Amino acid sequence: MKYKDYYKILGVARDASADDIKKAYRKLARKYHPDVSKEKNAEERFKEMAEAYETLKDPEKRAAFDQLGSHAAGQEFRPPPDWGQQFGSGGSFDPSGQGSFDDIDLADLLAGLTGGRSRGRTGGRPGREGPFPGSDYEAMVRITLEQAFHGTEIELDLSVPEYDERGIAHRVPHRAKVRIPKGVTDGQKLRVPGKGGKGFQGGPAGDLYLDIQVQTHPLFRTSGRDIYVDLPLAPWEAVLGTSVELPTPAGAVALKVPSGTRAGQQLRLAGRGLSRPGEKSGDLFAIVGIVVPTVVDEKERSLFRELAEKSNFDPRAHFKQGAAA
Amino acid sequence: MNNDTAEALRLDQESQVSFSQLVILSGLSDDDLRELVDHGALTPVDPDASSWMFTSYCVVVARKARRLRSDFELDAHAVSVLLGFVERIEALENELHALRAGALAYGAATDRFSR
Repeated sequence: MKYKDYYKILGVARDASADDIKKAYRKLARKYHPDVSKEKNAEERFKEMAEAYETLKDPEKRAAFDQLGSHAAGQEFRPPPDWGQQFGSGGSFDPSGQGSFDDIDLADLLAGLTGGRSRGRTGGRPGREGPFPGSDYEAMVRITLEQAFHGTEIELDLSVPEYDERGIAHRVPHRAKVRIPKGVTDGQKLRVPGKGGKGFQGGPAGDLYLDIQVQTHPLFRTSGRDIYVDLPLAPWEAVLGTSVELPTPAGAVALKVPSGTRAGQQLRLAGRGLSRPGEKSGDLFAIVGIVVPTVVDEKERSLFRELAEKSNFDPRAHFKQGAAA
Repeated sequence: MNNDTAEALRLDQESQVSFSQLVILSGLSDDDLRELVDHGALTPVDPDASSWMFTSYCVVVARKARRLRSDFELDAHAVSVLLGFVERIEALENELHALRAGALAYGAATDRFSR
């Protein structure tokens, strides 16, 4: 079992008062709570501090934690032989000191003292009268735009607590195969019924909740169901019009660019965005950019000069109108 | 362990869940949920119906409410106010994201295609 220094996590001294611990937790929760924070690794940080607060706010758990002694964070350790007897249910952790603690999490060990920490809907666990549903699990899933567009199947490997008959949580691997429907969008939440923790005493299994993150794509950007792609055009293509092969997540399509197309103009391809069965599809927008060659040979330079001499186009005519007014 | 592939269901504005399903899925009690409706944090599809139905996106909101309530030790009113702000921030972020997605990534396009 790896040691976690809950005092250090909350940034308080080991002799901090309950009030100081609460203040420290609230300050950090405001910064890192995943529902209100955009900090990097907010979820991970918040889980850590919530676990620390859960222990330190409870006098019994705090006393039990203090009895474990002080170790370096991440250091392997095991509770002293008499620790379990001193703190009730801990006796089931084999006070002879021969049992394995490898798959037991410190928070789960401490939770065993007072009936457990709540996970998922009810934090269902043995030792209570059932039936109880299993815990819900949550996971963030990163998929490509192509996977979001076509739908995909993923395999998730999670490490989750599973309670033994004594009510002690052990970390066990949990694999789930999930079909992601086509047309999911960035930030979409999905529920996978029955893929959470096992139910107890005949209770149903918990659910798995997925938070979909669509990876950045080198060509496409998304907003909801709409997809955007930059369409660079040469000046003469924009003036004369052209036909281009435009990439889309479903494959290239021919796009007719009308003459006189301006930079920044959005050419809409209706229904070629993310689509879901029975619902209106998103659109695909080609955003026009006019790109000029930075290196031109003598022949090209001469043609541009000739155009400059012969053209009466004045892109700054409105400057003069503004000056006259 | 059951290794069958399971279907993931969208939690969005299209599908619906009943009041009792929302209670089970959110981990909130009947009273908690009614209180959130009273405070305007959750809105039934038809508030005048005899049995309330909610869009399945309300599962996301109700679970968030449960987390905020327990993690910040807030009452239902405070949770509702906070959810309102979170919702406004998310709407603004979505708007900003849409504007960015719809704007030409001009530098990148120029660099990629210029010679």
